[in-house]
Amino acid sequence: MTKSTIPLIDRISVELGAQEPWPKDVKLYQPYEVEQILLPDNANCLAAQAFLKMCQLNYEVVHKQNAEAMSPTLKVPFIKAGRFVIAELEGIVQFVNGKGITLTAKLDNEQKADMRAFMSLIHNVIENAELYICWVDKETYNEVTCIRHGSVYPWPLNHIQNWQKRSQVIKKLKALDWYNKTLEDVFAEVETCCEALSTRLDGKPYFFEEGPTELDALIFGHLFTILTTPLPRSDLANTVRNYPKLIQLVQRIEKEYFKKETKN
Amino acid sequence: MGTVHAKADEHFKEIPDFAQKQTIRELPEKEQIKEVDLEGIRARVDKINVDGLARTKNDIVEDCIRELFKATDFQDVLLKAHRARVKLDELGCFKNISVFIDTSKGPKSTPDGLEVTFNVKEHKRLTGGVSTQVGNNEGALLVGMRAPNLFGRGERVQVEYSYGSKKTTNFNVAFIKPIRGRHRSAFTTSVFQQHSEWPPSSYKLIERGVLLDYGFHSTSLLKHNVQWEGNIRDLSVLSRSASFDVREQSGVSLKSALRHVLSVDLRDDIIFPSTGGLFKLTSEVAGLGGDVGFCKNEFFLQSNYSLMDDVVIQGSLWAGYLTPLSSGHKKIGAADAFYLGGPLSLRGFRPRGCGPRSADGDALGARCFWSAGVHLFAPLPFRKGSSKGGLADLFRTHLFVNAGNVLADLDIAGKSGDSDLIETLLTNLRLSYGLGIALRLGNMARLEVNYCFPHSYDKNDQTQPGVQFGIGVQFL
Repeated sequence: MTKSTIPLIDRISVELGAQEPWPKDVKLYQPYEVEQILLPDNANCLAAQAFLKMCQLNYEVVHKQNAEAMSPTLKVPFIKAGRFVIAELEGIVQFVNGKGITLTAKLDNEQKADMRAFMSLIHNVIENAELYICWVDKETYNEVTCIRHGSVYPWPLNHIQNWQKRSQVIKKLKALDWYNKTLEDVFAEVETCCEALSTRLDGKPYFFEEGPTELDALIFGHLFTILTTPLPRSDLANTVRNYPKLIQLVQRIEKEYFKKETKN
Repeated sequence: MGTVHAKADEHFKEIPDFAQKQTIRELPEKEQIKEVDLEGIRARVDKINVDGLARTKNDIVEDCIRELFKATDFQDVLLKAHRARVKLDELGCFKNISVFIDTSKGPKSTPDGLEVTFNVKEHKRLTGGVSTQVGNNEGALLVGMRAPNLFGRGERVQVEYSYGSKKTTNFNVAFIKPIRGRHRSAFTTSVFQQHSEWPPSSYKLIERGVLLDYGFHSTSLLKHNVQWEGNIRDLSVLSRSASFDVREQSGVSLKSALRHVLSVDLRDDIIFPSTGGLFKLTSEVAGLGGDVGFCKNEFFLQSNYSLMDDVVIQGSLWAGYLTPLSSGHKKIGAADAFYLGGPLSLRGFRPRGCGPRSADGDALGARCFWSAGVHLFAPLPFRKGSSKGGLADLFRTHLFVNAGNVLADLDIAGKSGDSDLIETLLTNLRLSYGLGIALRLGNMARLEVNYCFPHSYDKNDQTQPGVQFGIGVQFL
């Protein structure tokens, strides 16, 4: 299959999917949480989970060593709903919208455009910063990334896979002009991004008065993961901690959508 | 007695055959043909000349021809000369080899003395070329380069790249070192990268690895290969519509396996044998390191009987058995399983057409299979005369019956005992029959066009009644 046909098939799958209700046995696939998953992947998996919870859709998390390879876009997470396999937050949002379930119904077009802009800001800044810390920063790479990423492969495949993934990420960061940044530059970028988010949030419970959206889910996924993941460098978490409004948002979403489960 | 030139034929493989066919013609004075008993003529080899050696070291050539000095009669000389020629050929150092036998002359010659001369022509330092090859129902373009006889003792390095009609690509670098001694052994080490696509199972596979192979003969006909393979396999789905069972297997795995291949080939021809048999037993244990673990046994048996002049009945049996390692946690992937069906195995079925498949129709492979075939080969009808070597000789017509079965999971049958396993394998039998034409392609491959009638099959099987086209090396 050529790449050009994929969007068409995506569209068809979304259209077809619309005709069926949300299946009962939806599964969300992600890597092992305890020993394998890395910061950026964990953030994206959590964001997708938060979104599904906000939509009050049931799902079951399945941990797979090869979740990344199984994903149609080679990125985690992905969900399996009936015969459909849909990857990443944007795809999942589109698929859910296709079923008539949406969090953005009350937003006008300007707000929707705003939301998309902030989402791409998070992808372009926070996610790249996470990738940079994990794969470019020597200390984090040696102490955390290479051990966790290689943990599911036998020797010597673990080294080969680490090396291969690292060169992929570095290639990507080079293309985005992030590879030559210093750690300070990276933290400065994150700070600017948080500043913008914090200003936009401005003490409201969610980004839009109408209620939580996928933007809140994405921010929750990334910031919660940054705050709770122990890394040799805590600078990234410290940068985020300077923004109490964002912390409050993260805590609110956690309490609202993730704590309920543990109570029951 | 005049001079006898016994020039070995290019195509002689079987030594007894060679002996039967040798009769000496007294030429040219008398036209009548006189049969001479070769065993009755006493002879001894006084001298052996090897002409045309440049890089090749003497010791390996001496090893090949030494036996010739032990000959006592003329037939023995002929046989041993032929055998020496085969050995020289196996060194892979020479482009062509011709043998001349003459009476020995000169002061030191004995009364029954002979002088044997091998004329050899060495390969160039670097050879290469573009050729085509067939295998596995696929034609491929092959670009290769060889550096034969690198250090004068038959060592060679070869680099090959092939691109197949079914998107299979293959890159291989090998170093081969023959080892002196009576076991005719050789050591091969190769690095390979293979890319293959399997639409019936909706996956593609990239394999990168190392293969070490030690081949030797324990008796003159019994050939062994002991191999170690380290292979990184990257499986990915072919399209988004691939079934989830296949998608679940995607990802990288490392296979480290020890393999033993035992083969005895007594056939008189590889493509259309008229007599003799082939037995091949492959045993493989994966799981010495890596995350793939299984034990796999596979055997192939072929037997040929000549009913009349050119009418041959051929029976073959092909079976395999795959078990997980007892330690348990290692993977067995789609690439390790057995598949049945297709023009090279069970005719009348689509490639990988038999056996377990997912809800979306992707073949998932089986843990156990057997298949058998009976063929009746006959030359093309209405041939003019019995001219050998003509165009018609490349063709055979054949009638065949194929049967086989697969078992998805051994656990089901394994628990209830061996007799049940055999029973399970015999129930739900797949059977097909048909007729067709087979064509010899070079001296290495066979092309078949068959009209098939699937007779009994499972409702999940994909049959292919009617015309089926097959090209390959090993057929059922």
